[in-house]
Amino acid sequence: MTFANEPILELRRAWVRDGLRDALTALDRELPLDVPVLVGGDARRAPSLDSTDPGRPDRVVARATVATADDVEAAIAAARRGQPAWAARGARERADVLVRAAALLRDRRPRLTALAVRECAKPWAEADADVCEAIDFLEYYARDAVALDDGEDLLQPPGERNAMTYRPRGIAAVIAPWNFPVAIACGMTAGALVTGNAALLKPAEQSPGCALELVSALHEAGVPPDVLALLPGEGDVGAALVRHPAVHVVAFTGSSAVGREILREAGTVRDEDLHLTHVVAEMGGKNCIVVDADADLDDAVPAIAYSAFGFAGQKCSACSRVLVHEGIADTLVERLGGLLDTLVVDQAERFGVDVPPVIEAASQERLERHVAAAAQAGATVRRGAAGPGGGWFVAPTLITGADPGSPVAREELFGPVVVVEAVPSVDAACDVLDTLPVALTGGLFSRNPDVVRRVSARVPVGNLYLNRHITGAMVGRQPFGGNRLSGTGTKAGGPGYLRHFVESYVVCENTMRHGLVV
Amino acid sequence: MATDAPAPPALEPDIRALGRSLDAAFPGAARRPRAAAEDLVTARLARRPELRAALFRLVDVAPACRTPAELGEHLAGLLSDVPPEDPAARVGRRLGRGRATAPLTGRVAAVGIRQMAGRFILAEHPQEGAGTLADLWRRGVASSVDLLGEATVTPAEADRYAARCDEALTVLSREASAWPAQPILEADSAGPLPRVNLSVKVTALTPMIREADPSIGVADAAPRLRHLLRRARDLGAHLHVDIESMASRETIMRLVLELLAEDEFRAGPSAGVVLQAYLSDSDEVAAEILDWAERVPRESPLTIRLVKGAYWDHELVEARQSGWRPPVYETKADTDRNFERLTRTLLGAHAGGTPIRLAVASHNLRSIAHALAYARSLALPDRDLELQVLRGLGDDLHDALAAHGLRVRAYCPIGDLVAGMAYLVRRLLENTANDSFLATRASGADLDSLLTAP
Repeated sequence: MTFANEPILELRRAWVRDGLRDALTALDRELPLDVPVLVGGDARRAPSLDSTDPGRPDRVVARATVATADDVEAAIAAARRGQPAWAARGARERADVLVRAAALLRDRRPRLTALAVRECAKPWAEADADVCEAIDFLEYYARDAVALDDGEDLLQPPGERNAMTYRPRGIAAVIAPWNFPVAIACGMTAGALVTGNAALLKPAEQSPGCALELVSALHEAGVPPDVLALLPGEGDVGAALVRHPAVHVVAFTGSSAVGREILREAGTVRDEDLHLTHVVAEMGGKNCIVVDADADLDDAVPAIAYSAFGFAGQKCSACSRVLVHEGIADTLVERLGGLLDTLVVDQAERFGVDVPPVIEAASQERLERHVAAAAQAGATVRRGAAGPGGGWFVAPTLITGADPGSPVAREELFGPVVVVEAVPSVDAACDVLDTLPVALTGGLFSRNPDVVRRVSARVPVGNLYLNRHITGAMVGRQPFGGNRLSGTGTKAGGPGYLRHFVESYVVCENTMRHGLVV
Repeated sequence: MATDAPAPPALEPDIRALGRSLDAAFPGAARRPRAAAEDLVTARLARRPELRAALFRLVDVAPACRTPAELGEHLAGLLSDVPPEDPAARVGRRLGRGRATAPLTGRVAAVGIRQMAGRFILAEHPQEGAGTLADLWRRGVASSVDLLGEATVTPAEADRYAARCDEALTVLSREASAWPAQPILEADSAGPLPRVNLSVKVTALTPMIREADPSIGVADAAPRLRHLLRRARDLGAHLHVDIESMASRETIMRLVLELLAEDEFRAGPSAGVVLQAYLSDSDEVAAEILDWAERVPRESPLTIRLVKGAYWDHELVEARQSGWRPPVYETKADTDRNFERLTRTLLGAHAGGTPIRLAVASHNLRSIAHALAYARSLALPDRDLELQVLRGLGDDLHDALAAHGLRVRAYCPIGDLVAGMAYLVRRLLENTANDSFLATRASGADLDSLLTAP
């Protein structure tokens, strides 16, 4: 059966919106969710870590029990116990389990979507896309794992039988972010599980509720309790997992700072170690959109706005810098600046919202610091609506005239803030991209096929989008992952991703015996 | 709502006779040599999809090229996607790449594009277009003016578009007052019809259309549209609100029906909406409009312009990418059949006393003949049916219709070339689509088969 993306909701239909409103009302009655530590089928409940609605921080969405060092040890022990049998079940059976989990998530789409709206302030369209992507990961990796199980075709000269197959690494620690609270946690966990590993999931402290729904669905679908643990908590839980000598592979998506720490820690080989710790890391970017003089600004301006301000700029793929040809820079700035006034800055649950609140107070403070520093350094700052009071809202912001070497121009902002800078040519824009240490996504607006070809061949980014917005990679359509310091070069939702969760085994048999090929 | 029954078989002979008679009234190619030559080129382009794509992309980018050399370079770049065996591509590539020849090639291309644009776009400004509108009027062809513009992404752009509409109403009202009387064009059985007719786009009146909450766009566009409705009422002009893609449909319908129901617009202006027959739920929309017309007492009946729909590729691609059931019929014949069903529904409602007027906007002789024959079968006078064509595509057709004493209106875009490109490309695509009535006819298809029920 071929893979097809889960259809997203048609929010332009009133009855679809009514269904989601009902789901949110039903969910609200259940809040807060109780998120236990789940290890080996046991649930330990001593809630102490709250996730709250970023738009109304007095609303507690989930109360999570924080995993202790003992929980981590127990989870490792359970994984050691259960993993060999899980591996022995074979790829096809594990794939069936994933497909069942996908079906469960599909049944629960409205509820899960509502939860992502509440817990992470994802607007409906973004929350829906998040849940669909989770389903896509399950369905896509299920098919890919079956194909991987066939092994590779090798040369087979007479007298020799060669085979190359894959086996799970063993135990995977999955450290997931809050910005795609269902999809990314699901993708990394599914990749580990379907290839026969045990998975220990440490969700972001901001989104334990979404993680619980995911883990529950996987368990219900048939993932044995021993091979999938839920370990809520903060950074120390993740650090304990990364340090643990029994962990074979760490799958991480998150900030560059944490990613580097993981790579350092995982790179330390102790005398008693029996394996290297393999790291799959997806980190940040400084994603730029390049706009050539022949671009159609009718398309480019809305696409930049959506890439920079959608979900308040909190996607790894979001645009935070625009490099525009000086011939049309003034027009672009005028139109993008005017567009700021049209952005709906409001609660995520409001249909039609453009800019929801950012995830937490610390993000709000960090972004305001960046904007203030740029203004102080002489840059021109233009801002849209501030949003309603009470939540962690940040007004969408356009900065021009910033020093190209300043923090706003070089650092990932992860908020609704974009810097626009005029450049003399597309090639000069490419030179700028070359100086950046990160290379996740990028965009180009040009209507000259020669320029499109030249830029596509040259820029270092892992995902380049031509004449469209630069967010919203789809499983099986745009395998996603960055180059340079943006990650370890893996492409989530694409061919080759599962290889990171397995080791390769080559067996060569001599079939010549007494001069006879047997 | 729309009856599912096919056109009454008894009507078929009338439809065929009307179609033949209209066809015979088409002016020959000799009267419009350039248009005829362009039609020939576009008919050939339909068979060379890569070249067609390259040339359309060139037309699209032309206004953004600052020098002829830049346009030449674009031409060369675009032609490199065309199969190497195509001679036009080979020559164009060589000339467009050469340092000496690129500017000249660009200049030639620019002239060609300007000429083509001139066929579809009346003028840059309403004042400059007024003469042509008066000529059309004298020849028995009314008009609806559409102001082309860049996409509206800021409030200032929405204000500017509204101001241009306001100005166009003023200029056209002044001009039209001097036009001679044209009894066929100025009244139907429901009463007088304004000479000045302006088509407006809601997506240009607000930058805030959000498909997940139509009320946001309605609230933002309402003050601007209300102002234009007042101006049209005071000047005695007709205001027609165009429809675009599904992303804005609910916003547009809600906005127009809400505003027109307001007390201050009870006495006017004459106004209209558009119904797209390619949408598979168009019968529900028709029912909603008819229900509104029954409920809301207004002095002049609501005009419903029935079209097939100009965003078919867009709707289909968006649906495919999102995993949705396409909102449009996937075959031309299904759309044509639905067009006829809706024609009968709306004419039936009109004959039954629902205060609506029908404008059938199609270049398909079968669709037009069907509407006329059905209207006559309901004993409606011909003047109760308006026929609309697009400037540049339907010029021969409007002459043929006027020659038959039918009430015809040409949709006339006005605006500069930069703003007109999106419009121009859509029209060119339409003209070279393999299954369009005009292309089929231009390629010499048998008239009787074209007049057969879809």
